[in-house]
Amino acid sequence: MSDFISDGCQDFGRALCVITGASKGFGRELAVQIAGLLKPKSVMLLVARSGKQLAELKDDLVASDGDKSQLVVHCIQADLGKKEGVEKTIRVAKETSAMDIDHLLLINNAASLGDVSRFAMSFTDREEVDAYLSLNVSSVLSLTAGVLQAFPWRHGLRRTVVNVSSLCALKPFPSWVLYCTGKAARDMMFRVLAEEEPDLRVLSYAPGPLDTDMQTQARCYSGDVKIRQSFSSMFAEGRLLTCQESGAKLMRLLLDDDFPSGAHVDFYEL
Amino acid sequence: MAVSKATDLGKALCIITGASKGFGRSLAKEISGLLQPESVLVLVARSGNKLSELQTELDSLVAGKHLVIRCVIADLGLREGVEQVMKSVRELTAVDIDHLLLFNNAASLGDVSRYAQSFENMEEVDSYLSFNVSSALCLTAGVLNAFPRRQGLRRFVVNISSLCAVKPFPSWVLYCTGKAARDMMFRVLAEEDPDLRVLSYAPGPLDTDMQLQARSSSADSNLRQIFTVLHSEGQLLTCEQSISKLLKVLLEDEFSSGAHIDYYDL
Repeated sequence: MSDFISDGCQDFGRALCVITGASKGFGRELAVQIAGLLKPKSVMLLVARSGKQLAELKDDLVASDGDKSQLVVHCIQADLGKKEGVEKTIRVAKETSAMDIDHLLLINNAASLGDVSRFAMSFTDREEVDAYLSLNVSSVLSLTAGVLQAFPWRHGLRRTVVNVSSLCALKPFPSWVLYCTGKAARDMMFRVLAEEEPDLRVLSYAPGPLDTDMQTQARCYSGDVKIRQSFSSMFAEGRLLTCQESGAKLMRLLLDDDFPSGAHVDFYEL
Repeated sequence: MAVSKATDLGKALCIITGASKGFGRSLAKEISGLLQPESVLVLVARSGNKLSELQTELDSLVAGKHLVIRCVIADLGLREGVEQVMKSVRELTAVDIDHLLLFNNAASLGDVSRYAQSFENMEEVDSYLSFNVSSALCLTAGVLNAFPRRQGLRRFVVNISSLCAVKPFPSWVLYCTGKAARDMMFRVLAEEDPDLRVLSYAPGPLDTDMQLQARSSSADSNLRQIFTVLHSEGQLLTCEQSISKLLKVLLEDEFSSGAHIDYYDL
């Protein structure tokens, strides 16, 4: 193992990198930053529901790469809220000829906020809760499992799994029952994975309050007045983070690679 | 809010899921002794046979006390399950009670013979979470809607939790994930509704069927060994031991709402 841990790596090596929820917000930004840190002939699998936005992202990535690293980008249009979406993503990962990669990097970023306009007491509709957990928890476990099976442990292959987490994994937010529940579930799931597979590098990264569509939703619709107010003032005072600055910290963390596997690391701790 | 220490749980509507065996079953028996006459005990489980056995036992245990016992045969793993329970609960809204107690006890261990890497089948994970997480939220929401806040009604929601809600156990990915999810869910509920009394209680390692499953099928050999030693050295707790601590916490009613309290903390 020690030969993998070199301080302050400058890139991710020749990697296969899977990013879910890549079409916008934080996922899109991560795709851009990671693309710049891959060695030639690396492969990126970008997963999202919107094929159009993915295709645009692919064009951007390929254009900014020029031809210097022969980056291969595959877009996978898939709804991870559905079993078929997860299966499709796993299938593409398996079919990707990436025999000679030295790094597998899976970024579980796709997520939804859930209906934050209502309090826990109103969640009597089982289908709503099931669908939320399916996209935000089940799909993440199944996709991670499928991808790790497709790229089993072998000498010279470093495998990193990132869970895009949130402060909500640790702290209950009123009117955010689905989001908090889902994020707490994911953190624990990845802690178990880290315990089980000492060979893996598992990180739950809480990116801080980002200036994204999800944040607009949070600011406008949260049932809890205090939360709405605190997000509104963060927004008004320019205290929301850009995806770029939070993404950069995550890149640094991954390159330095000295976090304890399974840890929950917050933007503000760094 | 701390009132002088109560010696019973008042005239209550008490709902227990997973009541046919193990912890839920013992809880039904122990709690029946703490309910005032005319209280209603709603017992939920999949197995009608075991529920009626329990009902017979309870009838003789509380003979003459005028306790109303309702058995609801329902599979909370199915979408209709919660609705079946709610149907019975809604029929009881006219009952004059001063305590509402909901014990979200029903749970499954999940397949502990495999590691996280093997859970690529999303349907398996979905159905685990539906039973262990979604049903607990939907039932709790339904019951609280049926018994909204009013003067003179104390409402308790208990989540039967586990050490696994806070500590990852290898080869227990579903169980740990579900328990962590539930703990957080109930913390949010506690934050939202200060009038409620919400408790996540980790009962400790109990000598139940679930423990037998854990001991015999856990893929992780360390865990298997730990549980085997606990068993052979008689260190597993009886359900009664653990329940008496839970009931003490509820009677004293001094816990901070939303807290995770472990048997061994007490």
